[in-house]
Amino acid sequence: MTKPIKVHLCPAGPNPWKVVLLLEELGVPYEINSFPFQEVKSKPYTDINPNGRVPAIEDRNTGITLWETGAIILYLIEQYDITHKLSYPDIKQRHLTNQYLFFQVSGQGPYFGQAGWFNVLHSEKVQSAIDRYNSELKRVLGVLDTVLEGKEWLVGDKITYADLSFATWNDRIDSLILCAPEDKFKGFLNVQAWHERMISRPSWATCMDKRAQLMDEQGLLPNGMPKGVSNMEEYEAKMKADAEASK
Amino acid sequence: MSQQPDITLYTTQTPNGIKVSITLEELSIPYKVQKLDISKNTQKEPWFLEINPNGRIPAITDTFTDGKTIRLFESGSIMQYLVATYDKDHKISFEPGTREFYEMNNWLFFQNAGVGPMQGQANHFTRYAPEHIEYGVNRYQNETRRLYGVIDKHLKDSKSEYLVGNKCTIADIAHWGWVASAGWAGVDIDEFPELKAWEDRMAARPGVEKGRHVPDPHKIKELLKDKAKMEQQAAEARKWVQAGMKDDAKKSQK
Repeated sequence: MTKPIKVHLCPAGPNPWKVVLLLEELGVPYEINSFPFQEVKSKPYTDINPNGRVPAIEDRNTGITLWETGAIILYLIEQYDITHKLSYPDIKQRHLTNQYLFFQVSGQGPYFGQAGWFNVLHSEKVQSAIDRYNSELKRVLGVLDTVLEGKEWLVGDKITYADLSFATWNDRIDSLILCAPEDKFKGFLNVQAWHERMISRPSWATCMDKRAQLMDEQGLLPNGMPKGVSNMEEYEAKMKADAEASK
Repeated sequence: MSQQPDITLYTTQTPNGIKVSITLEELSIPYKVQKLDISKNTQKEPWFLEINPNGRIPAITDTFTDGKTIRLFESGSIMQYLVATYDKDHKISFEPGTREFYEMNNWLFFQNAGVGPMQGQANHFTRYAPEHIEYGVNRYQNETRRLYGVIDKHLKDSKSEYLVGNKCTIADIAHWGWVASAGWAGVDIDEFPELKAWEDRMAARPGVEKGRHVPDPHKIKELLKDKAKMEQQAAEARKWVQAGMKDDAKKSQK
């Protein structure tokens, strides 16, 4: 029997939930180790992920540890998607699916992350940087909208791990660029319909319930910061003060 | 079924472009090169968007086993395709399903999701931004340094000559062009002795030497020694980078 895969995560960010969503979809047993953001860049976690980022997985069935979401997703698909629920056996389709997975990890994730940083987390408003990343976020949505024209899914006629990899970042666009939730996909109707297809799946609700519960355990607001803190400088000052106090 | 390569590489002289030409040279695969002129926005022309809807280099076309054309973009995906299809002897990859195979992918993704985008932002704020934003320069130079530090420590701790399993793989090739142009992003490679030694080790490989000069000579090392020329080149690039940004911003407001 498959032993549960250990998923190390801090609950706030979108990247860990890419992996949990996939595990839910595949029905692979897993257990979550949820820990505070303050511990991500220090031992013992950096022994698991030298890059000091979440998530990371440890699979006791094979003895492997991995810590880049793209590599984790490909690994889980190859090991556990035997029936090709979320992938294609056909090699050509598989390479095309990987192409979109790479587009997510290199094109969507990093740039959406920078948009969130300059719009929300950074205390000083740097308008040209905000404009740069908001514009790139829209450009990425535009590319996806073109690709999805006349199609339900990125590759072929079924949902794959590439589609799912975009969901967690897309879902929080409103909190990244500070727009109304209903304007998240304004002008990108194909993307909106595609996103709604994904978040109507039971796996999504399960992930969001788990996230809410783990956030609450740590006393975090939906934006990932503790109650009473409004930007990253304040958060860092609070973490430092807490660390001093616990000495 | 073995596949006869029929590859065209669409590229320009950048760290992402030479990932693919170096991979092809390391595997001794014949290929045609089509150079794109980014300064003239060729990558946004309809014929190229048919190949890559994201309008970025590199991209490739190849004739697949079904006799039809396969079009691929995203350097990481292209490299995985090339080794899966043409590296049956595992010269620059590991056998699928092995621990080393998954670790190789882990470092490949680290480059594509981490080093590339972050060093790219350092390039932007250091060389191309319309105004000097000290915070942006520092943020991305520091993040690039942090990521370099992760590799430097990994090379030291693993006592390996390459990132995974003591063999040069696509994970190493993906990093090389970026590490070789650290100075362009304002990062001093001398702060990372293990990484610097790795960079030289990679540069000594005939496949790297041949592949780095595609489609034009790779001159970053010479350029980094010439401050005046660096500033001149940055000024030229700044013009078309900013024009491209304006173009994108206009489109995104539609």
